Amino acid sequence: MSLIDLEGVSKVYRVGEQKIRALDGINLRIEEGEFVAIIGSSGSGKSTLMHLLGCLDTPTTGRMNICGNELSSASGDQLALVRNREIGFVFQAFNLLPKLDVVSNIELPLIYSGIPADKRRARAKQTAIDVGLGDRLSNRPTQLSGGQCQRVAIARALVNNPRILFGDEPTGNLDSATGQMILGMFDSLHAAGKTIVLVTHDSAIAARSKRVIEIKDGRITREYNP
Amino acid sequence: MNLWVAITIGLSEIAAHKFRTFLSMLGIVLGVSSLIATMALTYGIEVGTRKFMQQVGGLEFVSILNKEPSNKQYEFANLSPGRTLRDAEAIKKSATFISHVSPELALNTVVAVEGGGNPERRTVRGVYPDHFVIGMHVIGKGRFLTPLDIERGTRCVVIGQVTATQLWPDSPPDSAVGKTLLIDSKPFRVVGVLSHYETDVQSRARKTGSRGSKSMTGRRDPFRSKNEAVLIPFSTMFQEFQSGLYPLDSMDSMKLDTLTVRVGDLQHFRPALDQVRSLLEITHRGVDNYDLDTREEWFGRVETSVRASRLSGGLISGISLIVGGIGIMNIMLASISERIREIGIRLAVGARGRDIFIQILIESMLVSLIGGLFGIVGSLGLLEILKAISHTENVPILSIESIFLSLGFAMVAGLLSGIYPALKASRLDPITALRYE
Repeated sequence: MSLIDLEGVSKVYRVGEQKIRALDGINLRIEEGEFVAIIGSSGSGKSTLMHLLGCLDTPTTGRMNICGNELSSASGDQLALVRNREIGFVFQAFNLLPKLDVVSNIELPLIYSGIPADKRRARAKQTAIDVGLGDRLSNRPTQLSGGQCQRVAIARALVNNPRILFGDEPTGNLDSATGQMILGMFDSLHAAGKTIVLVTHDSAIAARSKRVIEIKDGRITREYNP
Repeated sequence: MNLWVAITIGLSEIAAHKFRTFLSMLGIVLGVSSLIATMALTYGIEVGTRKFMQQVGGLEFVSILNKEPSNKQYEFANLSPGRTLRDAEAIKKSATFISHVSPELALNTVVAVEGGGNPERRTVRGVYPDHFVIGMHVIGKGRFLTPLDIERGTRCVVIGQVTATQLWPDSPPDSAVGKTLLIDSKPFRVVGVLSHYETDVQSRARKTGSRGSKSMTGRRDPFRSKNEAVLIPFSTMFQEFQSGLYPLDSMDSMKLDTLTVRVGDLQHFRPALDQVRSLLEITHRGVDNYDLDTREEWFGRVETSVRASRLSGGLISGISLIVGGIGIMNIMLASISERIREIGIRLAVGARGRDIFIQILIESMLVSLIGGLFGIVGSLGLLEILKAISHTENVPILSIESIFLSLGFAMVAGLLSGIYPALKASRLDPITALRYE
């Protein structure tokens, strides 16, 4: 069984009287251990697709199965559970909580898994050390560089040991050297067997993946291996 | 997410916005402190009133009054001897639920010292030893009248402190014992001086050295008649002042001025009244010309007014707690609209709607709890201020129950006002929340 399995998935938004078809009959399978890039210009529907894959939303029509969970018409709690256990997110804007230090930011998903405090802290600290932030454990995000912030975000995405790691323009807010360093981390995570899905508009970044899916007007227009 | 985590998050959120949170909890602070203060005030009034009721004889005190017989009985009303010593004797002998009986004869006459100085017009009362208990007297110096005084008709007198001071202004009241007193020109030896009776306000005024509150001077002193008492044996009263009018052996049929009894145990209040009534029916030969005056109605009225003041105070404090709750709701709504992105992040990493709901609710309750704790401290100050600026009849009494009750109400206010913001926060769409700038 595929890790991600979408069949005839459409997503329709209602804006006033108007219906906007953001996704139109998407069929997509992603297997365990793949490194996939979803590429498209803005308004192509790539963000909507990532929200569906990331269990932040449910499709209007079609069948969606993520990590063995049938989520076509899942409740909010079901989606939250899959997000918590199976999925890690890395956002363009880092999305760290400014009031919390590095370790507290990283342990956030573990809080909602109901893991006891001492284990939680230990695991968050170990993950911070793994991404190279061992000397920054009690710093706040405002005291960190962009690259360091994104490493905190990656650590937070990995701390619950999810099966899929999503990156939504993860290098968009970084200079190219730092961006390369972050992409290097994705490479090594892929090498270690993690399933990775990147969403980007930059074909150079997409070229680092093993499989590129091009989206336009809510449909998959092209698929190739770089 | 467990409760402890929610509490930690809530506390750090409060710590991050100390002043704002303090302003929003002000309503709760005032509500709790005024609630505790009102409860302490009314509790003080209640205890003070109870004490006063005890001092004037309590509910056990029942007086037997004369009543006009009905028209139906008018023709044979003369058959009844009226309220006499026989009634008292009968009640004392046969009414088992009555512990004390006090018949009284009163005489308004001049009381003076030898040599004629300082004459005073006083109501002299001829009483039985039981009067000591029924009148709730305390002896200051000397002794009260004894059965022997009654038996022998001695010329002994027990006086109140005010009387003693007025007759002998130059010496302390207690030194009156042993001195001689003229009642309607007949010499009586003072055998006892009663204690000075005073209300709480008077005793506090005396202790603090002030002249007493203005409110008291205009009001009737409830202990005036006790402090001005002149008490002589019942038999002496009859022999010295009434026998000229009646035959010597007619003491038993003398019409009494007052007849009071005391119920031994309030548990048997009704049966005691029934016993008295059936005895009086016999001694009065079936003529219904007496009435039993209990203090139930009076005490009931007092209780009702205490309850009413408690209710009105509670109502005002309750309104202020509601206002406080609205303040908290306001600040929680402001707080979540500031934290939409944070909520989005929490949702993205796997928080469920109910985790967010609990977090906001806990935060709201923490604000009200801390407000409540400040309120308790505030109430202590408020009570001190109240004590200082107003000479209330009764000292406010702070009870543990009132503190916990007020804190409980504050928590409920926090809980209720947190529900709407919490619901709003928990229903946020993760995608919209994440994109929120």
